Order: sequence, then structure tokens, then C-alpha cells
Amino acid sequence: MKHEIVVPPTADGSAEITLVSWLKEVGDSVGMGEDLAEAATEKITLYITAPADGILQEIHVKAGEKAQVGQVVGIMSD
Amino acid sequence: MERGGQKGYWLDLGLIPYGPAFVVQERILKARMGNGFPATVILQENPSVFTIGRTGSRSNILASEDELERRGIQVMEVNRGGDITYHGPGQIIVSPLLYLGDIGMNANQYLHRLEDVLIDLLSAFGVKGNKKKAYPGVWWDETKIGAVGIAVKHGYTFHGFSLNVNLDLTPFTLINPCGVSRMPVKSLHQVLGRHVPLEEVKERLREILMDTFSLSLQGLSLEEVEEALASRGT
Repeated sequence: MKHEIVVPPTADGSAEITLVSWLKEVGDSVGMGEDLAEAATEKITLYITAPADGILQEIHVKAGEKAQVGQVVGIMSD
Repeated sequence: MERGGQKGYWLDLGLIPYGPAFVVQERILKARMGNGFPATVILQENPSVFTIGRTGSRSNILASEDELERRGIQVMEVNRGGDITYHGPGQIIVSPLLYLGDIGMNANQYLHRLEDVLIDLLSAFGVKGNKKKAYPGVWWDETKIGAVGIAVKHGYTFHGFSLNVNLDLTPFTLINPCGVSRMPVKSLHQVLGRHVPLEEVKERLREILMDTFSLSLQGLSLEEVEEALASRGT
């Protein structure tokens, strides 16, 4: 089963969010709730966390690229 | 002081290097996320240090390595939001470790509420602070007197804000504060024309934070917080 990794609604209202860095690589095993990536607005750092136990399968938004709240930035699989 | 609202801790670390203070903050954050450790507001003053946030760059340091060493200013990359800023004795740094769900706000609302806290704090000293839309933080006239920069993990907040009270502002000339060239900065000392006791600022701040976030903050020493953490197995 696939699980979408999204920018959390914590950052609602942010005009621009940058995905600063991925803390895991494609192929890494990750536990639910574990930090996957750091994103940042001008004054807020946000952590994007794993939606389930599984493996990081795809990265859709690379480090340094912009993203929006709710956007799928990657995919995990069981 | 006993009052209604969610019970939490008020931990004043005093003058402490940034690194060890952040270790304390991380431990409490982990305990909050893991086993419901109470909301905690951490206060600290740092020896001279430039901190670079997640959207910052070392290119905003205008001084050479030699000059930084001569002035005894450390440089640290940290995980708060924002660019580069200066911390030193006479500035209070405040890190409220709260849960956004408890205070009914998202991260942006919380960030702006912290600016309101700073404005209320300045007002307690008869100083009118204001916000600038394109420049987060709190300003007096056209000079920046308080900075904000937070991080959020699983809805739990860390980092926070700082206020220049009796801070020597000279080191700000060695950087582009918050990434802005020649951004003017101010201290409460300069605005009022007198030394302002930090303890007085902290006590006012404590009242304002308790009112703003419906908290009842009990003052604890670091040793007492360590005991509380240990009793929860963290």
C-alpha cells in the first residue's frame, strides 16, 4: 500500500514554504511519525513526518524547492 | 503565582551557552511529545553567538573568521525558522514549548501571537512596539527590537523569540540581521535611556504569557526539571 507524504496543515496561511532538506533517503525504512524532511517558511521550521511505517519510495519535491500546505512531497510504501 | 489554565513550568536557565541550552530544550521537547511532559517556557541569555536559522546563510556574516574569534563570537547553525541573528548578554531569549492543539492556533497564528506578546511586554514599560508586514518581529519606530523564529514538530512548538533589553548591539553591524542589509536594531535600554533589570522584564513577561496562552507557570530550577524528566524516564 502507498502512503502520500504531505506538507502538514500546521503551516496554514504560509505564502511560501521551502523544503529545506530530506532527513531520509529513498529506500530507507521509516517508522510512523518519524521525521522525514524539514520545511521552512520565512520564520517557521516545520517537520514533515512519516504517515505510516514503511519505506520511503519516491521524493517528488527536492531540497531547495518550493511546496504548499497539503502538497504531496513524496510517497512511502508498506 | 497560582491561577487557572493549563499548568506548566517556567525554567530560567540564566546566562548559558547556546549549545547546552538547546540540549535542555530538545530533551523537554522530546518528553512533551513522548509522555506528556507539561508545557514549559525556557528563558536564557547567551554569551555572544550568531545563530543561523534554516532559511539563512553564512554569506550574511560580514566579518572575517579572525574578527569573530577576536570578538569571541561563536557561529551556530540552528533549526529555528529565519536567517541570521545575534544573541548576547542583556538579551532575553524565550522558548515556549507549547502544543498548538492546546492553544487552538496554527503555526502562523502562533508566530504572530508571539509578536503580540512582545508588543504587550514593551507596552508594560511604556514603549510602543509595532509589526511590519514584510518583516516579522517587533519594531520600535523603524528599528527592530524583538525577533521571532520558531520550529514545530508534531504540533509541538520550540524556539521562540528574543528581546534586546540591555544588549550591546555592536555585533549586529557584523551581519545582515535576518538577511537584511543594514537593518537597524534597538534595545529597550536605548529606547528608555536607562538600564532595565532583566528580572523585571521576565516577571512582566511571565504574566503576559500566562494570560495570552491561559497557562499557570510554576518556576522550577534546572535541577527540578531534570528530576521531573527523570521521574518520567526521560
